Amino acid sequence: MSERVRSGVNPVAVEATLKALLGRGLPEVEILAKRGRSRRFALDGERTASSYAEERGWAVRAGDRRGSLFACGTGDPNPDGPWPPAYPPALRLPTPVPPPPWKEPSDFEVPLIGEREGLALLEGIARELTAELPRGRVLSATLEDGSSEGQITSSKGLAATFRGRLAALRLEVIGPGNPRPARPAVIELAEREARRFNPKALARRLADRLAVGAAPGLAESAERSGDLLLAPAVAARLLAGLAPLFFGPRTDGEISAILGNAIRIGSEALTLLDDGRYPGGAFESPIDGEGTPTREVTIVERGNFLGPVLSPVQARGANPTGAAGSRAQISGIARRASFRDLPTPGPTHLYLRPDPKVAVGSLLGSVKIGTYLIDALGPARVDFSTGSFALPVCGLAVENGKATAPIGHAWLSGEISDLLRGIVGVGRDLAFLPLDGMVGSPTLLVRGLVLRGR
Amino acid sequence: MRLPMPFSSFDSAALARSLAQLGGSDEDWVDGFFERTEEIELPPDGEGPGFSIRREEGFAVRLVRDRRAFLASRDGIDGRSFSEALRQVARALPAASVPEPDLPLGPWPGAPGPPEAPEVVDFAGLLERAIRAHHTAFPLRLTVRRHRRWLQVATPRLVPAPESESYYSLDAEIPGGRWGALLPQLGRPEAEATAGHLVELFRSRTALPFSPRPGAILLGPAAVAVLLHEAVAHALEADLLALSGKPDAAIGVALGSPILSVLDDPGAAPASVRRATDDEGLPVCRRWLLRDGVVEQPLADAAWSRSASTLVPGAGRRAGRHDLPMPRSHHLELLPGTTSENDLFDGAEGGLWLPQVRRGALDPRTGELELLFPFARRIYKGEPAETLGPCAIHGRLADLLGKAIAVGDIRRAEGAGWCAKGGQKLPVWATAPALLLEGVEVTR
Repeated sequence: MSERVRSGVNPVAVEATLKALLGRGLPEVEILAKRGRSRRFALDGERTASSYAEERGWAVRAGDRRGSLFACGTGDPNPDGPWPPAYPPALRLPTPVPPPPWKEPSDFEVPLIGEREGLALLEGIARELTAELPRGRVLSATLEDGSSEGQITSSKGLAATFRGRLAALRLEVIGPGNPRPARPAVIELAEREARRFNPKALARRLADRLAVGAAPGLAESAERSGDLLLAPAVAARLLAGLAPLFFGPRTDGEISAILGNAIRIGSEALTLLDDGRYPGGAFESPIDGEGTPTREVTIVERGNFLGPVLSPVQARGANPTGAAGSRAQISGIARRASFRDLPTPGPTHLYLRPDPKVAVGSLLGSVKIGTYLIDALGPARVDFSTGSFALPVCGLAVENGKATAPIGHAWLSGEISDLLRGIVGVGRDLAFLPLDGMVGSPTLLVRGLVLRGR
Repeated sequence: MRLPMPFSSFDSAALARSLAQLGGSDEDWVDGFFERTEEIELPPDGEGPGFSIRREEGFAVRLVRDRRAFLASRDGIDGRSFSEALRQVARALPAASVPEPDLPLGPWPGAPGPPEAPEVVDFAGLLERAIRAHHTAFPLRLTVRRHRRWLQVATPRLVPAPESESYYSLDAEIPGGRWGALLPQLGRPEAEATAGHLVELFRSRTALPFSPRPGAILLGPAAVAVLLHEAVAHALEADLLALSGKPDAAIGVALGSPILSVLDDPGAAPASVRRATDDEGLPVCRRWLLRDGVVEQPLADAAWSRSASTLVPGAGRRAGRHDLPMPRSHHLELLPGTTSENDLFDGAEGGLWLPQVRRGALDPRTGELELLFPFARRIYKGEPAETLGPCAIHGRLADLLGKAIAVGDIRRAEGAGWCAKGGQKLPVWATAPALLLEGVEVTR
């Protein structure tokens, strides 16, 4: 089957549109055409909903040295437009680079989850949760399983096809709520396909989260010092908050002002990567939303910052000064959520490298006095102007490797540099969360930070 | 001005007949939803691309049976895709015979020429001049968008008249913060009003830190619009009421001060976003959410109105064809009181003037409400005086609404803002006067 037929795109419409825009005196033209289908299931109390959607759209970026335009729509691109007037700034598309060989994962061919199977998965999670935590219940559950394919063509000779497969799950659950009023817990996960979600494991995680979340929090003026064990859900939230440091043009001065040093920014245990081709990853793809090849980029190696990651367009537009700028690493990181969206540089699969030899149990066993933070209760608040962060968390007090009491709410806060330099241990349980891109971390053992009530 | 309708050539009888094949019994709800949307966007100066246009059209077929909803949606509109979607929702075999109704679409406005939006292009210049008139200048990142939407709903029994909406949204970023607005029109008056808001926000960046002090608070119409949306509309949406009990049990509950009468009336919205029917094709009504502080009629869509005979449908809204409708407000009104603006300020002497809300959120399960304000102004000698830094109100919504002691006599139409309930982003409108509250704790 030819690539063009596989992409589901009408090649005649694409070529005619490309020609029409070149004919209008716009030398830089890029056409994205995309097809997708998805099944969505929702459980909301006693109500269920089942949807099937087929999407078919296109997007055009075009311009010259003076101005540019963006147009998109449903159906196939049409040589007649609509083409709005080109306004500044100019557009310069990336020069095509052939992607290195890549083997398409076999699960791209797996059919979408069926209606009975999808609803059964959600009902299974609800049932398992009640078994784990009597009077715990699912308030709402949404499962979406989708696949897409398309083609990017440009006046610079780019002609690339792409495919994708993504399943997303959102659960909002609530516990018994005694003696305090119950607060719901929400988790959002993404996998390549819906059948990878495990109801029993999810129910156990949610039950733990509800049980701990129902406990009293740290008193407003209280502080807890000691070792901190950060579960992947906590560490990934922090990493997502720090991601802007590592993507886009940055100077040595900026990095140094925030992290205290432009090179040595973390402990030996800290190795940070971004990989658009991460095997099995939800966004695994050989190219990004502009057709630029993706690759594995090491951003921080054993605590040393190797340079920020830039898309080719950012690299051309940026004029960074200092070593951090000159060390910039170019990769395909321009993401496109749908045909309606412009390419936006950012993390693809950003993760902290796990240590395959270290079990979480051994990290926990090494904690004499400390806290095991099992979940984040919201997003991280990161202030790059002061170099500080704060994250609402819940967890368990730990003594001699054993949990002694739940802590329903506390703030993990401090300096970003103390966080990165304080990582003394890394587990092997790497897990990703769908945040700004897929962001992942294993369990981390951190020293030198304090947990506060407020 | 109403927009020309693209669905006027639909064979509505054939459409209704096709949909009628889906309903197995009188208890089933079946509808077809057709939409066309257009968004024109001019990003901040120098940020690419220069000009954007997004045009979409598509449809959805829905069946609600008992407590289950089935939806099939497509991008693009044609008879063949429509009959495919009907088959999917009916779970019929591909070989099953389903007629293909004729669904010819009218042209896009202005076609075949390029889309025109001079008001969008001109607005940045108007705003710049209006800001200069305040004898100030500051860096401004401004995004201006024009939104247009055309809808046609069809059911087996009724094919109501098509609907359209046209409005604008602004996103501004200045030293001092971000500010956004929804506007039914875009021109010089809107530029002047926007400049006033931005200048006030810009000047607040050097404000003294907020320090709590007892006293009354006076919410400006824009802040009241957000309060109505969060504390009254969301609190009275049937699906959110169902999280903590039976939705109709809320009827008759005293939710606020007796001086508060709040309606949702899509038929009284600004002309360009006025609606006669909702996104399920049902007639909208002048719905009294609160009459003299007491809940009279929660917001319900067709599905929720079937669960309780006291719930009236007509408030079903959906962000687009790929989404299921849910109960939402469209245009909220707080009935005016008899207190003049001067008397309101006099009544809040020593207290706070809160003209803008940065963000509002309601937890429907606990009834806890949070309103965040970018700044506050101390009221001194009946006028807004010194500016104070960001502050917030946290508390139970019934406690807060119970503390209203006076309603202004002049109402202003405001965009209450974008609402993203259930991930469906929709504009919400409001017409509200200023509101005086006493005994509300404002924190830093």
